[in-house]
Amino acid sequence: MKGDERAVIRSLPSGVPGLDTVLAGGLPEFSFNLIAGGPGSGKTILAHQIMFANATAKKPALYFTVLGEPTLKMLRYQQQFTFFDSALVGSAVQFINLSAEVMERDLAEVLRRIASETERVNPGIVIVDSFRTIRAQYGTADVAATLELDQFVQRLAMNLTTWEVTSLLLGEYTEEEQRNPVFTVADGILWLSQATDRNSVVRKLQIVKTRGRAPMPGLHTFRITDDGLQIFPRIPEQTRKRQPQRRERLSTGVEGLDDMIGGGVVAGDAVMLTGPAGSGKSTIATQFMVAGLAKGETGVIAVFEEYPEEYLARANARNSDIGKMLKNGALELIYLRPLDLSVDEALAAILEAVERLNAKRVVIDSLSGFEVALAPTFREDFRESLYRLVGALTATGVTVFMTAEVSEAFSEARFTSENVSFITDEIIVQRYVEIKGELRRVMAVIKMRGSDHSHEFRSYEVTAKGVVVGGSLTEYDGIITGVPTLHAKLVGLKRRK
Amino acid sequence: MSSVDPSKDRLSARQITRRLIKSRQRERKASDGRARTTSVACDDLYLELSRWVGLDGCHALFTRALASARTESAALDQIQLRPGSEPYLDGVAESIISRGDAATAEALEAMLVHVVELLGRLIGDDMATNLIERSIAAPKRDNATSDDRREEA
Repeated sequence: MKGDERAVIRSLPSGVPGLDTVLAGGLPEFSFNLIAGGPGSGKTILAHQIMFANATAKKPALYFTVLGEPTLKMLRYQQQFTFFDSALVGSAVQFINLSAEVMERDLAEVLRRIASETERVNPGIVIVDSFRTIRAQYGTADVAATLELDQFVQRLAMNLTTWEVTSLLLGEYTEEEQRNPVFTVADGILWLSQATDRNSVVRKLQIVKTRGRAPMPGLHTFRITDDGLQIFPRIPEQTRKRQPQRRERLSTGVEGLDDMIGGGVVAGDAVMLTGPAGSGKSTIATQFMVAGLAKGETGVIAVFEEYPEEYLARANARNSDIGKMLKNGALELIYLRPLDLSVDEALAAILEAVERLNAKRVVIDSLSGFEVALAPTFREDFRESLYRLVGALTATGVTVFMTAEVSEAFSEARFTSENVSFITDEIIVQRYVEIKGELRRVMAVIKMRGSDHSHEFRSYEVTAKGVVVGGSLTEYDGIITGVPTLHAKLVGLKRRK
Repeated sequence: MSSVDPSKDRLSARQITRRLIKSRQRERKASDGRARTTSVACDDLYLELSRWVGLDGCHALFTRALASARTESAALDQIQLRPGSEPYLDGVAESIISRGDAATAEALEAMLVHVVELLGRLIGDDMATNLIERSIAAPKRDNATSDDRREEA
C-alpha cells in the first residue's frame, strides 16, 4: 500500500530470548496465532512465557484451559519456571476453565463464554489451551460438524481481533493436519517439534506463517531450561560483508611465530591452528588471547574439550594474567559441552559474550571438541554449519582463532581437519617429526590469505612459559613425511669429514 | 517464579478459612447459624475455584478434603458433594438437626481447611491464597436465593 495511511501493526515482545529475532520483531499485535506441535514440545511453556511477559493489571491475560492438562497440574508445574510470577495470578493473569462448556454444551456456548470473559476482563492476550481438544470433541466425521467447527474458528478469530486481543491457540497437530481450518484462519503459526537422532533429541521451532511480515526462514533450535524456552535463530548464510579492517596485525604472543606470518595475525581474520594431540595448540591459543589482554583488549574463549576449571588451571600455570582478566571481566570463558548442541546455540552464546565484552579476539578450542558436542544431526553438515558460524563471527570484526586436532600417521601429513580449511584465512600446522631418534615438534604456515608468509618448517618447544619457536630445519629433507633426513649435501660433507 | 514478598506474614490455612467464612457471615441474616454460613462459604469457594480449575478439578479437591476431614469429624457423615449443582453441599440441614449447628459448622470448617491446605500443597501457598482471596472478594450471592435453593435441595 502506498502512502502513510496503512495500519500500523505493532509488535508484542514475546519475552522468549531469540523469538523476536525469528519473528522479525515480535508477535504482531491483535494477531490470531496457533502454537502447534506434538506432546512435550513446549507449547504450554511458550504460551505461559509470552503471557507473563505481556500481562499487566491494565491489560491482563486470559488463559482458557479446556480438557488437556488439568489446570491444577499445569499451575503446579509452570510455576517452577523463573518467568512465572504467582503474584500476577488472579489479577494480571487469569485462568478460566472451559471444560464444562466443551463437554456438556456446544461450540456456540464455548464462543459465548470466551466472548463474555473477554468483554469482562478486557485482556491484551488470550490463550486457549488446548484448542485441539475442542476440535476433537466435535469431531470431523460429519459435514455439519466440520462446518460448525469452521464457523466457530472464523467467529472466534473475528471476535478476538475486534476486541483488540493478541491470541494464541495451542494444539497438538501433525504435519498432515495442516488443512484444518484453523491453519487457514490463523495469522501466525509457530510449529514446535522434537527430532530424535540416535541418543540425542533436538528441539526445533519453525514459523510456518506470519501475516504481514517476513520471519526468519528455516528451523531454529531451542532449549528449555528453568527460564523457559530460549530460541537460537538459525545463522543465515553470511551475506553481510566483514567490517572493514585496517589490516592491523595482532601478535600471537608466540615468540617467532609472528615473524612466520608476516608480523602477526590479520585483525578480523579467521585463523586455524591444526596439530596432533599434545602439540601445544591450546597453549598457543591461550598465548594469542593473553597477548590481546596485555594490550587492553577483551576476549572470549569457547572451550569444548576440557572442563573450564581444568582449562583455567592449566592456562593460569603458564600465565596468571588469565585468571586476573577473568575476574576483572576482560575475558570470558564459555564452556559448551552438552552433546546435543546446535551450531546456532554455540554461536548465540559466543556472540552474546562478544557483544557484552566488545571482544576483539575469540578462541574456539577446539573444533574437534565442538563437533563432538554437537547433536548427531548437526554433525552431518558440520562443514556448512562451521562456515555459517565463522562467517557470522568474522562479520562482527572479531578475530577468530580456532584449534583443530588432526590424527597423524607418520607417513602421511594431514594439514587440516575435516576439510574445513576453506572457511579460514590463515592456517598454521603443527606436527611431530623424528630427528636423530627424538620426537621433535615442528610448525609451518600453509595459508595466509592476501599476505606473504614464511614457507619454512620451524622447530618449537612447549615450555613452562608457553610455546617458543626455534630455528628453521632447512638442513633436512622430507620433514613432511615425519621422518626427515639430512640434506644430501650435508650428508656428503659429514662423510668427507 | 513468585514475586510475592517472602517477608510478608503468611496466613495459615485455618486463618484463611476463617476469613472466608467471616466474609460470608457479614452478608448473612442474623438468624442464620454458623453451619449455614460455613456451607455457603464452601459453595462459593467451589464456584470460584471451578472457574479456574474446572468443575472436575475442583470437585476432586473437595472430595479429597471431605475424605480427610471425615476421619476427624463424624459430623460430616451426612454431607455429600453434588458436582455442578447449587448448592454444592448436600445434607447440611440434616447434619444440623442430628449433630447440631456448632458441630456441623466445625466439621465444615475443617473440610475447608483441608481444601486450602491441599491447594497450597499442589500449587503453592502464595497462589492458593491468591485464588481464595478472590473468592473472599467475589460478589456474594443473594441470601434469599441461596437459602431457597438450599431449602429446595
